Amino acid sequence: MNQIAMPIIFALLAVGLAVALQRVGLRADASWPARAPFLGGGTAQTHAWQRFHVRYYPMTLLFIAFEMEMMFMYPWAVVYVETGFVALAEMGMFLGILSVGILYGWREGVFRWQ
Amino acid sequence: MSLLSALARGAEIPVFPAIGTQGLALVESLRSRPGIRLVDTPRHARVLLVAGELDSQHLRSLERLHAQLPAPRGTVWWQASPLFSHGPRVPDDDPLAAIRQAAQADEPVLRPDLPPHPWQGIGPHGQGGKGMMGGTPYGRPMAMTADDIRDGLALDAYTACFGPFLPMLPPGLVLELTLQGDVIVSAQMASPPFEQGPPGDAPNLCAARMLRLMGIDIGIDIDIGSPRARSRGALLALPAGSGMRRRLAKWLRGDHVTEDPAPVSEALPGLEWTEAVLWLASFAPARLRAVCTKEAVT
Repeated sequence: MNQIAMPIIFALLAVGLAVALQRVGLRADASWPARAPFLGGGTAQTHAWQRFHVRYYPMTLLFIAFEMEMMFMYPWAVVYVETGFVALAEMGMFLGILSVGILYGWREGVFRWQ
Repeated sequence: MSLLSALARGAEIPVFPAIGTQGLALVESLRSRPGIRLVDTPRHARVLLVAGELDSQHLRSLERLHAQLPAPRGTVWWQASPLFSHGPRVPDDDPLAAIRQAAQADEPVLRPDLPPHPWQGIGPHGQGGKGMMGGTPYGRPMAMTADDIRDGLALDAYTACFGPFLPMLPPGLVLELTLQGDVIVSAQMASPPFEQGPPGDAPNLCAARMLRLMGIDIGIDIDIGSPRARSRGALLALPAGSGMRRRLAKWLRGDHVTEDPAPVSEALPGLEWTEAVLWLASFAPARLRAVCTKEAVT
Protein backbone atom coordinates (compact mmCIF):
# COMPACT_ATOMS: atom_id res chain seq x y z
CA MET A 1 0.00 0.00 0.00
CA ASN A 2 2.80 2.33 1.05
CA GLN A 3 4.59 1.70 -2.23
CA ILE A 4 1.61 3.00 -4.20
CA ALA A 5 0.62 5.85 -1.86
CA MET A 6 4.02 7.52 -1.48
CA PRO A 7 4.66 8.27 -5.20
CA ILE A 8 1.10 9.62 -5.50
CA ILE A 9 1.60 11.86 -2.45
CA PHE A 10 4.91 13.14 -3.84
CA ALA A 11 3.38 13.75 -7.25
CA LEU A 12 0.54 15.73 -5.63
CA LEU A 13 3.04 17.74 -3.56
CA ALA A 14 5.06 18.51 -6.69
CA VAL A 15 1.99 19.66 -8.63
CA GLY A 16 0.82 21.71 -5.61
CA LEU A 17 4.19 23.42 -5.33
CA ALA A 18 4.28 24.18 -9.05
CA VAL A 19 0.78 25.69 -8.97
CA ALA A 20 1.62 27.71 -5.84
CA LEU A 21 4.79 29.12 -7.41
CA GLN A 22 2.87 30.02 -10.55
CA ARG A 23 0.29 31.91 -8.49
CA VAL A 24 3.05 33.80 -6.65
CA GLY A 25 4.42 34.81 -10.05
CA LEU A 26 1.01 36.04 -11.23
CA ARG A 27 0.79 38.45 -8.31
CA ALA A 28 3.70 40.51 -9.64
CA ASP A 29 1.47 43.30 -10.93
CA ALA A 30 4.21 45.62 -12.20
CA SER A 31 3.10 48.11 -14.83
CA TRP A 32 4.71 48.21 -18.28
CA PRO A 33 6.87 51.28 -17.53
CA ALA A 34 8.05 49.64 -14.28
CA ARG A 35 9.06 46.49 -16.16
CA ALA A 36 11.33 48.36 -18.59
CA PRO A 37 15.09 47.95 -18.08
CA PHE A 38 16.64 50.72 -15.96
CA LEU A 39 18.80 52.87 -18.22
CA GLY A 40 18.60 56.13 -16.28
CA GLY A 41 15.63 57.42 -18.27
CA GLY A 42 16.81 56.08 -21.65
CA THR A 43 15.21 53.33 -23.69
CA ALA A 44 16.49 50.22 -25.42
CA GLN A 45 16.01 49.57 -29.13
CA THR A 46 16.25 45.78 -28.91
CA HIS A 47 15.50 43.06 -26.37
CA ALA A 48 18.16 42.51 -23.74
CA TRP A 49 17.94 38.78 -24.55
CA GLN A 50 21.20 38.25 -26.41
CA ARG A 51 24.19 36.00 -26.91
CA PHE A 52 27.39 37.36 -25.45
CA HIS A 53 30.90 36.06 -24.88
CA VAL A 54 31.35 34.17 -21.61
CA ARG A 55 34.91 35.39 -21.22
CA TYR A 56 35.82 32.91 -18.49
CA TYR A 57 34.98 29.82 -20.49
CA PRO A 58 38.54 28.89 -21.70
CA MET A 59 39.69 29.20 -18.07
CA THR A 60 36.89 26.84 -16.98
CA LEU A 61 37.92 24.38 -19.67
CA LEU A 62 41.51 24.42 -18.44
CA PHE A 63 40.39 23.97 -14.84
CA ILE A 64 38.27 20.94 -15.72
CA ALA A 65 41.10 19.43 -17.81
CA PHE A 66 43.56 19.58 -14.90
CA GLU A 67 40.98 18.70 -12.25
CA MET A 68 39.84 15.56 -14.10
CA GLU A 69 43.47 14.56 -14.50
CA MET A 70 44.09 14.72 -10.76
CA MET A 71 40.75 13.11 -9.89
CA PHE A 72 41.68 9.91 -11.74
CA MET A 73 45.38 9.97 -10.94
CA TYR A 74 44.91 9.33 -7.22
CA PRO A 75 43.03 6.00 -7.54
CA TRP A 76 45.25 5.12 -10.50
CA ALA A 77 48.37 5.57 -8.34
CA VAL A 78 46.94 3.03 -5.86
CA VAL A 79 46.46 0.27 -8.43
CA TYR A 80 49.44 1.15 -10.64
CA VAL A 81 51.96 -1.10 -8.87
CA GLU A 82 49.88 -4.27 -9.14
CA THR A 83 48.49 -3.59 -12.66
CA GLY A 84 51.73 -2.36 -14.19
CA PHE A 85 52.19 -1.48 -17.84
CA VAL A 86 48.49 -1.73 -18.78
CA ALA A 87 47.63 1.01 -16.25
CA LEU A 88 50.44 3.17 -17.61
CA ALA A 89 49.10 2.83 -21.17
CA GLU A 90 45.54 3.57 -20.06
CA MET A 91 46.63 6.69 -18.18
CA GLY A 92 48.64 7.75 -21.23
CA MET A 93 45.53 7.54 -23.41
CA PHE A 94 43.48 9.44 -20.84
CA LEU A 95 46.06 12.22 -20.54
CA GLY A 96 46.32 12.33 -24.33
CA ILE A 97 42.60 13.07 -24.63
CA LEU A 98 42.73 15.71 -21.89
CA SER A 99 45.76 17.38 -23.43
CA VAL A 100 43.72 18.08 -26.58
CA GLY A 101 41.55 20.30 -24.38
CA ILE A 102 44.65 21.98 -22.93
CA LEU A 103 46.05 22.57 -26.43
CA TYR A 104 42.71 24.08 -27.48
CA GLY A 105 42.82 26.37 -24.40
CA TRP A 106 46.38 27.34 -25.34
CA ARG A 107 45.18 28.34 -28.82
CA GLU A 108 42.37 30.40 -27.25
CA GLY A 109 44.97 32.35 -25.27
CA VAL A 110 44.17 31.01 -21.81
CA PHE A 111 47.83 31.05 -20.74
CA ARG A 112 48.19 34.71 -21.68
CA TRP A 113 48.21 36.95 -18.61
CA GLN A 114 45.63 39.74 -18.94
CA MET B 1 0.23 54.34 15.69
CA SER B 2 1.15 50.68 15.61
CA LEU B 3 4.53 49.39 16.69
CA LEU B 4 5.31 48.47 13.08
CA SER B 5 4.69 51.97 11.73
CA ALA B 6 6.66 53.45 14.66
CA LEU B 7 9.62 51.25 13.72
CA ALA B 8 9.17 52.12 10.04
CA ARG B 9 9.29 55.85 10.84
CA GLY B 10 12.76 55.45 12.30
CA ALA B 11 14.11 53.59 9.27
CA GLU B 12 16.31 55.22 6.67
CA ILE B 13 14.43 56.50 3.62
CA PRO B 14 15.92 55.13 0.38
CA VAL B 15 16.26 58.04 -2.06
CA PHE B 16 17.14 57.93 -5.76
CA PRO B 17 18.77 61.20 -6.85
CA ALA B 18 18.08 62.55 -10.35
CA ILE B 19 20.79 65.17 -10.68
CA GLY B 20 20.24 68.28 -12.77
CA THR B 21 22.16 71.53 -13.31
CA GLN B 22 24.33 72.42 -10.28
CA GLY B 23 22.96 69.37 -8.44
CA LEU B 24 26.04 67.14 -8.16
CA ALA B 25 27.63 68.87 -5.16
CA LEU B 26 24.20 69.14 -3.49
CA VAL B 27 23.63 65.39 -3.70
CA GLU B 28 27.18 64.56 -2.59
CA SER B 29 26.58 66.65 0.55
CA LEU B 30 23.59 64.41 1.37
CA ARG B 31 25.56 61.15 1.46
CA SER B 32 26.62 61.46 5.07
CA ARG B 33 23.20 62.65 6.32
CA PRO B 34 21.51 60.28 8.76
CA GLY B 35 17.89 59.32 8.06
CA ILE B 36 18.26 58.86 4.32
CA ARG B 37 20.17 56.45 2.11
CA LEU B 38 21.05 57.27 -1.50
CA VAL B 39 20.40 54.23 -3.70
CA ASP B 40 21.62 53.42 -7.19
CA THR B 41 18.39 52.30 -8.81
CA PRO B 42 14.80 53.59 -8.65
CA ARG B 43 13.67 50.03 -7.87
CA HIS B 44 15.21 50.34 -4.39
CA ALA B 45 13.95 53.87 -3.73
CA ARG B 46 10.95 55.31 -1.91
CA VAL B 47 11.55 58.93 -2.90
CA LEU B 48 12.74 60.46 -6.18
CA LEU B 49 14.92 63.48 -5.38
CA VAL B 50 15.31 65.87 -8.30
CA ALA B 51 18.34 67.99 -7.38
CA GLY B 52 19.04 70.99 -9.60
CA GLU B 53 17.21 72.57 -12.53
CA LEU B 54 16.05 70.41 -15.46
CA ASP B 55 14.52 71.63 -18.69
CA SER B 56 11.33 70.20 -20.13
CA GLN B 57 13.17 68.06 -22.72
CA HIS B 58 14.09 65.72 -19.85
CA LEU B 59 10.49 65.39 -18.68
CA ARG B 60 9.97 62.08 -20.51
CA SER B 61 13.12 60.51 -18.99
CA LEU B 62 12.13 61.72 -15.54
CA GLU B 63 8.63 60.29 -15.90
CA ARG B 64 10.10 56.92 -16.91
CA LEU B 65 12.30 57.01 -13.83
CA HIS B 66 9.35 58.02 -11.64
CA ALA B 67 7.34 55.07 -12.97
CA GLN B 68 10.18 52.69 -12.09
CA LEU B 69 9.95 53.51 -8.38
CA PRO B 70 7.77 50.85 -6.76
CA ALA B 71 4.48 52.13 -5.30
CA PRO B 72 4.04 54.05 -3.03
CA ARG B 73 6.41 56.67 -4.42
CA GLY B 74 7.09 60.35 -3.73
CA THR B 75 9.02 63.17 -5.41
CA VAL B 76 11.03 66.11 -4.02
CA TRP B 77 12.15 69.06 -6.17
CA TRP B 78 15.33 70.37 -4.56
CA GLN B 79 16.43 73.72 -6.00
CA ALA B 80 14.50 72.74 -9.11
CA SER B 81 11.33 73.97 -10.82
CA PRO B 82 8.80 71.12 -10.81
CA LEU B 83 8.24 69.52 -14.21
CA PHE B 84 5.11 67.73 -12.98
CA SER B 85 2.61 68.66 -10.31
CA HIS B 86 3.49 66.09 -7.64
CA GLY B 87 5.83 66.51 -4.70
CA PRO B 88 7.04 69.41 -2.53
CA ARG B 89 9.54 72.01 -3.71
CA VAL B 90 12.62 72.84 -1.60
CA PRO B 91 14.32 76.14 -2.49
CA ASP B 92 16.82 76.09 0.41
CA ASP B 93 19.76 73.85 1.38
CA ASP B 94 18.07 71.16 3.46
CA PRO B 95 15.66 68.74 1.76
CA LEU B 96 15.36 66.30 4.69
CA ALA B 97 11.97 67.51 5.96
CA ALA B 98 10.56 67.44 2.42
CA ILE B 99 11.96 63.93 1.86
CA ARG B 100 10.20 62.78 5.04
CA GLN B 101 7.00 64.41 3.77
CA ALA B 102 7.39 62.76 0.34
CA ALA B 103 7.94 59.38 2.02
CA GLN B 104 4.29 59.55 3.14
CA ALA B 105 3.04 60.32 -0.38
CA ASP B 106 1.58 57.93 -2.94
CA GLU B 107 1.91 59.45 -6.40
CA PRO B 108 0.33 57.82 -9.48
CA VAL B 109 2.40 56.53 -12.42
CA LEU B 110 2.77 59.32 -14.96
CA ARG B 111 3.43 57.11 -17.99
CA PRO B 112 0.59 55.17 -19.63
CA ASP B 113 0.52 51.49 -18.68
CA LEU B 114 1.22 50.32 -22.23
CA PRO B 115 4.03 48.15 -23.61
CA PRO B 116 6.85 50.15 -25.25
CA HIS B 117 5.77 48.77 -28.63
CA PRO B 118 2.33 47.43 -29.57
CA TRP B 119 2.53 43.65 -29.80
CA GLN B 120 -0.69 42.01 -28.62
CA GLY B 121 -2.43 40.09 -31.38
CA ILE B 122 0.31 40.80 -33.96
CA GLY B 123 2.05 37.86 -35.65
CA PRO B 124 1.04 34.24 -36.24
CA HIS B 125 0.84 33.44 -32.49
CA GLY B 126 0.05 36.94 -31.27
CA GLN B 127 3.57 37.34 -29.92
CA GLY B 128 4.27 40.65 -31.66
CA GLY B 129 6.00 39.57 -34.84
CA LYS B 130 7.30 36.61 -36.77
CA GLY B 131 9.68 34.06 -35.29
CA MET B 132 12.12 34.46 -32.42
CA MET B 133 15.69 34.94 -33.69
CA GLY B 134 15.53 37.95 -35.97
CA GLY B 135 11.85 38.35 -35.15
CA THR B 136 10.04 40.88 -33.01
CA PRO B 137 8.62 39.23 -29.86
CA TYR B 138 6.63 41.76 -27.77
CA GLY B 139 6.91 44.14 -30.72
CA ARG B 140 10.60 44.82 -30.12
CA PRO B 141 13.32 43.38 -32.36
CA MET B 142 15.77 40.82 -31.03
CA ALA B 143 19.44 41.75 -30.84
CA MET B 144 21.22 40.24 -33.85
CA THR B 145 24.82 39.28 -34.48
CA ALA B 146 27.36 41.84 -35.65
CA ASP B 147 31.12 41.74 -36.21
CA ASP B 148 33.15 41.76 -33.00
CA ILE B 149 35.89 44.36 -32.71
CA ARG B 150 37.92 42.46 -30.14
CA ASP B 151 38.48 38.82 -31.00
CA GLY B 152 36.41 38.18 -34.11
CA LEU B 153 33.68 36.12 -32.46
CA ALA B 154 30.38 37.40 -33.90
CA LEU B 155 27.99 38.21 -31.05
CA ASP B 156 24.66 40.02 -30.58
CA ALA B 157 24.84 43.81 -30.58
CA TYR B 158 22.63 45.60 -28.03
CA THR B 159 21.81 49.24 -28.77
CA ALA B 160 20.29 51.49 -26.11
CA CYS B 161 20.23 55.06 -24.83
CA PHE B 162 21.96 55.33 -21.44
CA GLY B 163 21.28 58.36 -19.25
CA PRO B 164 20.63 61.17 -18.41
CA PHE B 165 20.05 59.95 -14.83
CA LEU B 166 22.18 56.79 -14.76
CA PRO B 167 24.14 57.03 -11.48
CA MET B 168 27.44 55.76 -12.92
CA LEU B 169 27.50 58.30 -15.76
CA PRO B 170 28.07 62.05 -15.33
CA PRO B 171 24.61 63.60 -14.70
CA GLY B 172 22.88 64.68 -17.89
CA LEU B 173 25.11 62.74 -20.26
CA VAL B 174 23.04 60.66 -22.70
CA LEU B 175 24.99 58.09 -24.67
CA GLU B 176 23.64 55.92 -27.44
CA LEU B 177 25.82 52.86 -27.07
CA THR B 178 26.03 49.62 -28.99
CA LEU B 179 27.38 46.89 -26.74
CA GLN B 180 28.49 43.33 -27.37
CA GLY B 181 28.43 41.81 -23.92
CA ASP B 182 30.30 44.42 -21.88
CA VAL B 183 32.40 45.76 -24.77
CA ILE B 184 31.35 49.09 -26.30
CA VAL B 185 31.31 48.75 -30.09
CA SER B 186 30.09 52.21 -30.97
CA ALA B 187 29.21 55.34 -29.00
CA GLN B 188 27.21 58.42 -29.93
CA MET B 189 26.75 61.38 -27.62
CA ALA B 190 23.06 62.34 -27.65
CA SER B 191 23.16 65.05 -24.97
CA PRO B 192 26.08 66.65 -23.03
CA PRO B 193 26.34 66.55 -19.21
CA PHE B 194 24.67 69.29 -17.15
CA GLU B 195 26.56 72.34 -15.95
CA GLN B 196 27.85 71.68 -12.41
CA GLY B 197 29.82 74.88 -11.77
CA PRO B 198 33.02 75.12 -9.68
CA PRO B 199 31.66 73.01 -6.72
CA GLY B 200 31.30 70.04 -9.12
CA ASP B 201 35.03 70.17 -9.96
CA ALA B 202 36.21 70.04 -6.32
CA PRO B 203 39.03 67.43 -6.04
CA ASN B 204 37.60 65.67 -2.96
CA LEU B 205 34.20 65.31 -4.64
CA CYS B 206 35.68 64.00 -7.90
CA ALA B 207 37.99 61.57 -6.08
CA ALA B 208 35.16 60.26 -3.88
CA ARG B 209 32.94 59.79 -6.93
CA MET B 210 35.61 57.83 -8.79
CA LEU B 211 36.49 55.69 -5.74
CA ARG B 212 32.81 54.95 -5.20
CA LEU B 213 32.55 53.66 -8.78
CA MET B 214 35.38 51.27 -7.86
CA GLY B 215 33.47 50.08 -4.80
CA ILE B 216 35.40 52.14 -2.23
CA ASP B 217 32.94 54.39 -0.42
CA ILE B 218 34.84 56.84 1.75
CA GLY B 219 32.57 59.89 1.49
CA ILE B 220 33.42 63.39 0.28
CA ASP B 221 34.76 64.72 3.55
CA ILE B 222 37.88 62.64 2.96
CA ASP B 223 40.89 64.10 4.61
CA ILE B 224 43.16 64.00 1.56
CA GLY B 225 45.99 62.39 3.56
CA SER B 226 44.19 59.69 5.51
CA PRO B 227 42.72 57.25 2.97
CA ARG B 228 46.12 56.83 1.34
CA ALA B 229 46.44 53.13 2.04
CA ARG B 230 43.10 52.29 0.47
CA SER B 231 43.34 54.64 -2.45
CA ARG B 232 46.81 53.36 -3.35
CA GLY B 233 45.18 50.01 -4.03
CA ALA B 234 42.58 51.85 -6.10
CA LEU B 235 45.32 53.46 -8.20
CA LEU B 236 46.82 50.06 -8.99
CA ALA B 237 43.39 48.68 -9.92
CA LEU B 238 42.97 51.29 -12.66
CA PRO B 239 44.23 50.24 -16.10
CA ALA B 240 47.70 51.57 -16.85
CA GLY B 241 48.27 53.85 -19.81
CA SER B 242 44.78 55.40 -19.81
CA GLY B 243 45.75 58.42 -17.68
CA MET B 244 43.12 57.48 -15.08
CA ARG B 245 45.76 56.71 -12.43
CA ARG B 246 47.43 60.06 -12.97
CA ARG B 247 44.16 61.99 -12.71
CA LEU B 248 42.89 60.16 -9.61
CA ALA B 249 46.29 60.63 -7.92
CA LYS B 250 46.07 64.34 -8.68
CA TRP B 251 42.63 64.59 -7.08
CA LEU B 252 43.81 62.64 -4.05
CA ARG B 253 46.64 65.15 -3.61
CA GLY B 254 44.00 67.91 -3.62
CA ASP B 255 44.87 69.31 -7.07
CA HIS B 256 42.47 70.12 -9.91
CA VAL B 257 42.52 67.98 -13.06
CA THR B 258 42.78 70.29 -16.07
CA GLU B 259 43.10 67.69 -18.85
CA ASP B 260 40.55 67.64 -21.67
CA PRO B 261 39.07 64.25 -22.65
CA ALA B 262 39.06 63.02 -26.24
CA PRO B 263 35.64 63.11 -27.96
CA VAL B 264 33.42 60.43 -26.43
CA SER B 265 32.49 58.83 -29.77
CA GLU B 266 36.20 58.16 -30.46
CA ALA B 267 37.38 57.26 -26.96
CA LEU B 268 34.71 54.81 -25.81
CA PRO B 269 34.58 52.15 -28.58
CA GLY B 270 36.73 49.19 -27.61
CA LEU B 271 36.48 49.83 -23.87
CA GLU B 272 34.59 47.60 -21.47
CA TRP B 273 31.60 49.17 -19.70
CA THR B 274 33.27 49.58 -16.27
CA GLU B 275 36.43 50.93 -17.88
CA ALA B 276 34.40 53.45 -19.88
CA VAL B 277 32.47 54.55 -16.78
CA LEU B 278 35.72 55.13 -14.86
CA TRP B 279 37.26 56.92 -17.83
CA LEU B 280 34.33 59.35 -17.96
CA ALA B 281 34.51 59.89 -14.18
CA SER B 282 38.25 60.60 -14.35
CA PHE B 283 37.73 64.03 -15.94
CA ALA B 284 36.48 67.16 -14.21
CA PRO B 285 32.74 67.61 -15.00
CA ALA B 286 33.31 71.09 -16.46
CA ARG B 287 36.00 69.79 -18.87
CA LEU B 288 33.89 66.81 -19.97
CA ARG B 289 30.91 69.11 -20.52
CA ALA B 290 32.97 71.51 -22.63
CA VAL B 291 34.24 68.71 -24.90
CA CYS B 292 30.79 67.06 -25.17
CA THR B 293 29.08 70.37 -25.99
CA LYS B 294 31.63 70.96 -28.76
CA GLU B 295 31.04 67.38 -29.99
CA ALA B 296 27.27 67.94 -30.02
CA VAL B 297 27.64 71.04 -32.20
CA THR B 298 29.90 69.44 -34.81
